[in-house]
Amino acid sequence: MSDNTNPTQPVQPEADQYSVEDVIDQTTDKSYSQGQLVLRRFLRHKAAMVALITLILIIILAFTSIGYGPIPGWWDKDYLTTSTVQNGGAPTLSLWPFQIGEHPFGQDTIGKDYFAMVMRGTQVSLFIAFTVGIIATFLGTAIGAIAGYYRGITESLLMRVTDLFIIIPALVLAAVFGRTFGSNVPMLAVMLGVISWTGLARLVRGEVLSLREREFVAAARAIGTPSPTIIRRHVLPNALGTIVVNATLLISSAILTETAISFLGFGVRAPDTSLGLLIQTYQNALTTRPWLFWWPGIFILGIALCVNFIGDGLRDAFDPRQSMD
Amino acid sequence: MFKYIAKRIGQSALILLLGSLLLYVLVINAGDPLEDLRESNDPNRENLIRQRSANMGLDLPWYVRYLTWLRGVGGCFVGRCDLGTSRDGQAVTGLVAQAAGATLRLVIIATIAAIVIGITLGIVSAVRQYSAFDYGVTLMAFVFFSLPVFWFAVLLKHYAAIQFNDWLPNGRISLPTILITAGILGLILAAALGGSWRRRLVTFAVMFVSVTGILFYMDQVEWLRRPAVGLPVYILAVIGLGILVIVMTSGFQNPRVRNAVGATALIAIIGYAVVRPTLMTERTDPETFSTANWILFGCLFAAVLLAILAGQLLGGFSRRQATSASVTTALFASVLAFTDLMLSHWSGYLAVMPRPIPTIAAETPNFYSTYWNHMIDTATHLILPTVALTAISIAAYTRYTRASMLDVLNQDYIRTARSKGIAERKVITRHALRNSLIPIATIVAFDFAGLIGGAVITETVFGWQGMGDLFRVGLNNVDPAPVMGFFLVTATAAVLMNLLADLVYAILDPRITG
Amino acid sequence: MTSEAVLQFKDLDVKFKTEFGRVHAVKGLNLEVRPGEVVALVGESGSGKSVTATTALGLLPGNASIGGETIVAQQSITKLNGKQLRNIRGNHVAMVFQEPMTALNPVIRVGEQLTEAMEVHGVAFGREAWGRAVDLLEAVGIPNAERRAKQFPHELSGGMRQRVVIAMALSCDPSVIIADEPTTALDVTVQADILDLLRSLKDKLNTGILLITHNMGVVADMADRVAVMFKGDIVEHGTSEEVLLNPQHPYTKRLLDAVPHLGDGHGQFGEAVNPVTSEEHALDVKNFVIEYKRQGKKPFRAVDDVSFDVRRGEIVGLVGESGSGKSTIGRALLGLIPAHSGEVRVLGEDLTQLRGSALKKLRRRIGVIFQDPAASLNPRLPVGDVIAEPLDVHRIGTSAERKNRVHELLDAVRLPRSAYNRYPHELSGGQRQRVSIARALTLNPDLLVADEPTSALDVSVKASVLEMFTELQKEFGFACLFISHDLAVIDSLAHRVVVMQYGKIVERGTREEVLLHSSEEYTRRLLAAAPVPDPIEQAQRRADRHALLAEFGEQVVELDTRELDQ
Repeated sequence: MSDNTNPTQPVQPEADQYSVEDVIDQTTDKSYSQGQLVLRRFLRHKAAMVALITLILIIILAFTSIGYGPIPGWWDKDYLTTSTVQNGGAPTLSLWPFQIGEHPFGQDTIGKDYFAMVMRGTQVSLFIAFTVGIIATFLGTAIGAIAGYYRGITESLLMRVTDLFIIIPALVLAAVFGRTFGSNVPMLAVMLGVISWTGLARLVRGEVLSLREREFVAAARAIGTPSPTIIRRHVLPNALGTIVVNATLLISSAILTETAISFLGFGVRAPDTSLGLLIQTYQNALTTRPWLFWWPGIFILGIALCVNFIGDGLRDAFDPRQSMD
Repeated sequence: MFKYIAKRIGQSALILLLGSLLLYVLVINAGDPLEDLRESNDPNRENLIRQRSANMGLDLPWYVRYLTWLRGVGGCFVGRCDLGTSRDGQAVTGLVAQAAGATLRLVIIATIAAIVIGITLGIVSAVRQYSAFDYGVTLMAFVFFSLPVFWFAVLLKHYAAIQFNDWLPNGRISLPTILITAGILGLILAAALGGSWRRRLVTFAVMFVSVTGILFYMDQVEWLRRPAVGLPVYILAVIGLGILVIVMTSGFQNPRVRNAVGATALIAIIGYAVVRPTLMTERTDPETFSTANWILFGCLFAAVLLAILAGQLLGGFSRRQATSASVTTALFASVLAFTDLMLSHWSGYLAVMPRPIPTIAAETPNFYSTYWNHMIDTATHLILPTVALTAISIAAYTRYTRASMLDVLNQDYIRTARSKGIAERKVITRHALRNSLIPIATIVAFDFAGLIGGAVITETVFGWQGMGDLFRVGLNNVDPAPVMGFFLVTATAAVLMNLLADLVYAILDPRITG
Repeated sequence: MTSEAVLQFKDLDVKFKTEFGRVHAVKGLNLEVRPGEVVALVGESGSGKSVTATTALGLLPGNASIGGETIVAQQSITKLNGKQLRNIRGNHVAMVFQEPMTALNPVIRVGEQLTEAMEVHGVAFGREAWGRAVDLLEAVGIPNAERRAKQFPHELSGGMRQRVVIAMALSCDPSVIIADEPTTALDVTVQADILDLLRSLKDKLNTGILLITHNMGVVADMADRVAVMFKGDIVEHGTSEEVLLNPQHPYTKRLLDAVPHLGDGHGQFGEAVNPVTSEEHALDVKNFVIEYKRQGKKPFRAVDDVSFDVRRGEIVGLVGESGSGKSTIGRALLGLIPAHSGEVRVLGEDLTQLRGSALKKLRRRIGVIFQDPAASLNPRLPVGDVIAEPLDVHRIGTSAERKNRVHELLDAVRLPRSAYNRYPHELSGGQRQRVSIARALTLNPDLLVADEPTSALDVSVKASVLEMFTELQKEFGFACLFISHDLAVIDSLAHRVVVMQYGKIVERGTREEVLLHSSEEYTRRLLAAAPVPDPIEQAQRRADRHALLAEFGEQVVELDTRELDQ
């Protein structure tokens, strides 16, 4: 908008001075797309930024310390080897004076390095959570978009499956799959992904139902744009907010589901480990060896909290109405 | 409406059937039911394997087993339930009957508590958007949303039960604890009520002084061990309740609602004064417990009935509002009376149970005592699992209600209401609240499924012999009958909950029936 | 009649703090409303007129900082505390909002919403308040008021709801009513009724009315005095005769020049369309029926046995009120809604019988412009991609050729070529509509379907878009089905007119036949109800309309004070 009182601007001819139609602002060449605006708002969301950095640090820590698969890490112990229990297995980590020591998170009852075990548990939990997130987001988006755009059979199928999830809680299904595939972590992750898409699909369907009535979709249809192109080019980009925000929620709930079924004994099995399994193993150690209980719990809480805050930041970035003062 | 409900029930039955088939197939394929026996060195191995195979019908094809199970369930409609046998030959029907009560009690109380607390917090934080209270609630919601329920339950067990029990016998509340507690509560209330800085300061001061006084008093008279309540306190509490209900509904201008609520409160006080001695009598014979239960239910029923009557008779023109306000008053007055009865027996219970907060099981095994001691025993067993389960659910309800309320507060009709000169409190309670609850009704069904999952975990942590245990052990043994028993009860509860949510939805939103 | 002002703005100044910095919405405005007087505050979107009015109720959001004074009932609104403010709201100053569909609480009965304000301000309680609510509903012309009061808002039509809102505003006998675009969301015949009702308020109750509107016809019909607002300032102020007939300020002149005037015909905005020479039909609709399926009921017939045609190079106006089926026809022509029966021939080929690639090929020859430029452009695509999309879909040309074509089109709709990389949210409403016109013309269509293309635009923008549209039509020579509820717009460019009501054609003919010499009852009602921006002519038209209603045996809607005096 050109400001009439700005002295550096040439005085406009009278006729144009009273035009309501603004001239396109040509002082800046830069043009922000919706995506860039969203990114800008997200980068300015302090809580989300702190959460994002923390999560990245946790991921780096978990995967570089003890290495992953054949790649070795910088930590000299692994999560399987036992050694003598020193000082009752108490943690050697101290912040003041800062020292890491031999066993920063302590040792478990048979002398395994607990730092390495927690790192392994974090790896497994993160791997499962992100796999679930990716698979469920993909399935949920595809099914939700098809159900919302074409309606018909896909839609009623989606609704019936949703009904099914009201009567069989996701945790129960997850436990059953865990009992079946628990010793095979990638398979478990895939199965959890396969049962986690319904919530997202419902939301995407709702969003698509309202988008398909929008005039720009009608305009595209009138031109003769094929339906798959309309979904890809016009509908999904505008549902991106819903998809991205709920993908983060999926990841945080997958972390909690995985740890919960591991806690029940249906998830990851020994000798491999996960954060939920560690808590289950040491739930009675709270009085005698509290570190065995606290560390895995703090990591679960930390990861889930970070992911949720990132999700909140994304929500505000995509939908600034609710966050503007 | 009836047609709609009938259609819903038909749909639900179909989904139940489909769900049972799915779960059955998944469970029997979840592993090898004979694994432990195959690996054992028991000389009797072959025999045991044969016996278990017979119990589980392993030599029959899977669909025959499923249909047999289904026929047994079908028997429930003619009063002959048969949910099959577990791998050890135990009848699952009996196991389910034992376990269902405790679990459903837990889940239903947790659902109600989560809905009430979550919605309240959500509304207040939406109304005080961007205040310290809002940020505090939002942060708490995020933490609870990210908290693994089993981890939280173990922490509760340790700090709220074991350490509390250690502290209780001769515990004193130190002055710093009193001051800090009072300060925190004062800050929370001041932030929630809002207003000008002056008003907040006054709120804080009043809250601070009264909490300090109460805690100091409680410490001095050892209230936590010998809680002194009784009629005088009850009367004060009911009067306070009545005022609160009037302020929250119509305000004091409307004489009809005011009179109806007042009458209900009066009836509650007089009624309680009359029946209290009867209710206080010690019963030790378990045979008479059910009579006592019926008396309690009778009182509740009478209270609600009288409240409806008061609302209808005195409500005059604002009959609907007067009735709902009086019923609310009656319900809360009954809860207060029940609390009073429980507290009155607390010191007696402590004499029998010096460590009152249990960490294991749904009730103390082999506990033979008075009626009220049993009541308190059940209640204390419920506390921790309910808190654990509720805390997780509250977070979701808070977030949803806040979002929904903010959305409603931006609507044109809220602006219309304000432009009429209606007080902000009434704009919220009368115009915004009901509209913001409409989308929440649909969430209840999904949340209930989540709570059942949560109950499985909480029961495990607290060692309950409930439905969760049935499921966990059954699944671990690849034993379909107990798992399906669990499914039958929880799924039916979920379906009923869903129907209830639909009904509430239709009541809240007049556009549905039209 | 006293001359003491019931509402007064003194040096009112409002600023908003937003994400993108400060916005100065109102800049030192002075205005007053006296009892029994209608003052119109006129301006286009963003002029600050609604903000000005909202200060009278103290309802501006928290990010507004207010300077100067708004005085109601001798009290300065900004100096009041919450309780005093609530005492003013509804009691001394009441508001009628633009959107009757959303202004009423959907879960509370109409009657209860009416009694609420009375009980708050102590006017009446309980049964007495209910009785008064029913009287008020009867007074604003709602039949069966007793039953209506017990209904929920969704059971009432839009016009009915606006009457409820007016009844609500009246419930505490305020000294001034602020009507913020009270008729913008309503059909033209309903608008005329609501205006009659509002006029009777000031006459019978001596209420002062501040009328906020962008519609010059409404101003001419209602206002005693007019204040023209532009970017937060009043640029011209006077009696409605002075301002509307002899405007002094260049903005006012520009605004009035831009208003299409029913009866002035073609060429109002400089360009007149060419006469039609071709006899070839571009569009031929025969016995067209469209039905909507409804659960548990028999299907709803939205378009019932409709036949008309459009010749090459001809603009046919399709006119009707909401629910007439005019937009449904437009959407069906574009293949967005399936037809039930009948045939639609576009350039000789039957659209309803074609499938697959043949249909796609035919679609290339039809262009479309929708009503809401904000909704009809995908917010995630830059303007260049939007305009090039038809080329992309039909795989025409190389990317360089496409870019050239887009540049040509941008020139044609008078947008700078630099708009190519801009996103829709960076453009104003008028600019966005130019983009959608450019998109419609990308493939040089033989037929253009324009569904209310100007009704979401501001007055002055509307005129320039219409002018440009006429020029483009002359240049490209396409046939056009121009769907609109605005008779004056149709009058300015259509060759022939088709009038629809309840899914059926009521009348069709040349522009002169239908708009100047109609004999059909419904068309005459529509024409009589459309206001013109000339107070003297409009007074005459109003008298004519009342005579017409009398001829049809109907009464003029007015406040029935007998109901209120009891």
